Amino acid sequence: MELQVHDLTKTFGRVAAVREVSFTAPAGKITALLGPNGSGKTTTLRVALGLVRPTAGTALIGGLPYASLSRPRRCVGAVLDTSGLHPGRRARDHLRVLATAAGVPARRADEVLDQVGLAEAAGRERRGVRGFSLGMRQRLGIAAALLGDPRLLVLDEPANGLDPAGIAWLRGLLRDLAGQGRTVVIASHVLAEVAQTADNVVILAAGRLRFAGPLRELGSGEGALESAFLKLTQAWG
Amino acid sequence: MHALISSEVRKITSVRGPWLLLAAGPLIIVAGVTGLVESGGNVRDPAEQSQAFAHVGLAAIVTLLFGIIAVAGEYRTGSITDTFLSFPDRRRVIAAKLVVYGLIGAAAGLVSSLVALGVTAAWWSAKGGALHLSGGDAWLTLGGGVAANLGFAVVGVGLGALIRNLAGAVAAALAWIALVEGIVAQLAGSGLARWLPLRASEALDRSSLFGATQTLPQWAGGLVLLGYAALFAAAAVVTTLRRDVT
Repeated sequence: MELQVHDLTKTFGRVAAVREVSFTAPAGKITALLGPNGSGKTTTLRVALGLVRPTAGTALIGGLPYASLSRPRRCVGAVLDTSGLHPGRRARDHLRVLATAAGVPARRADEVLDQVGLAEAAGRERRGVRGFSLGMRQRLGIAAALLGDPRLLVLDEPANGLDPAGIAWLRGLLRDLAGQGRTVVIASHVLAEVAQTADNVVILAAGRLRFAGPLRELGSGEGALESAFLKLTQAWG
Repeated sequence: MHALISSEVRKITSVRGPWLLLAAGPLIIVAGVTGLVESGGNVRDPAEQSQAFAHVGLAAIVTLLFGIIAVAGEYRTGSITDTFLSFPDRRRVIAAKLVVYGLIGAAAGLVSSLVALGVTAAWWSAKGGALHLSGGDAWLTLGGGVAANLGFAVVGVGLGALIRNLAGAVAAALAWIALVEGIVAQLAGSGLARWLPLRASEALDRSSLFGATQTLPQWAGGLVLLGYAALFAAAAVVTTLRRDVT
């Protein structure tokens, strides 16, 4: 199930957040969306998820806009940010709400908690996720994305808040998911991490596409991605 | 729709906040009826009994706030993103919330009615009066009170969907209750004023908080409340809910 972004433009008032961006994230690959702050990464992902309406162009998931997917949670899993959690709701209950919404059995909540390494923390928790660290919230978000066993995963800054062990775990998880033939799309700032993880790279600057293609085309060796990234994005701030 | 409604119910049952809020309804009634008696109410006067039962309708301010958190509360915590990811058709999300919050509001009104019956019976017997439940009056008052709890819950859902900022929606509701409707009523004159939400609810729950001289029939008051809820919800669906969730 591919993500196809075609001629996408989104303006907020007079500000063009995304301008005529096209790229495809193919199945079985990890596609990294890179760009400076405000370059349009998050807006692009939010359009793909039906949360933001495009001004022009399309973002299609397996050929359909998000809103036309009959069971969106079973097609697409998304990690957008670490907010979105009710502080007084326990992690397991949060996942059960989403499992009910996705039409998957409630036991999936425990399975994904186990998968992201939160089973123990969730078992101890009595008064909701207000006591969770940023890294634990990030893991909970990833658990929620995995609930529906989706073919496409969209993750915005998934390494945010994770400790080094967590980042290594995430890298393995994303590789496994892509290895199973799923489409993985991540937006990230952490170039060193992307250089180790991604197959394909999409670089945005000031809302415009600067590069889309295999990571290896940007050169090999340590620092190759960083120097290519800086060269491609510098003039655009 | 089944998944949507069950997930809404799960959301409410997995946090404490809404239940603490709803518990305020019975407390208002116990305090209100006690105050009525203690301030020299005559327990032998049948009108006094209706006034005691009418507290059920006054407690509907609690279900109004409860309804507001349905949508505005989700914008506050950010969980609205997850809700719209699960159910991209936002109209159905609002429809489900109207149903679920309306029914829970009605259930809260039912609990309030039982509490009103109990506390009134206790005070009346303590002061040597007797409850009169054989006439239709008592049941019309209590039934109207339950309907007002339902009606204000759905008005709250509509209002919270229209004004997505939780503090803003609560402030707007409280300002309307404390100030705005009174001013509008004076400007409109009592013939038109009876169509305003609080005066319509007064007709429904037979309270006399606002002392309106002209009120609608009880059933019409209920319909007017539902009309306001539908109006807010429809306005929300065509305006604010179309907006980007960023």
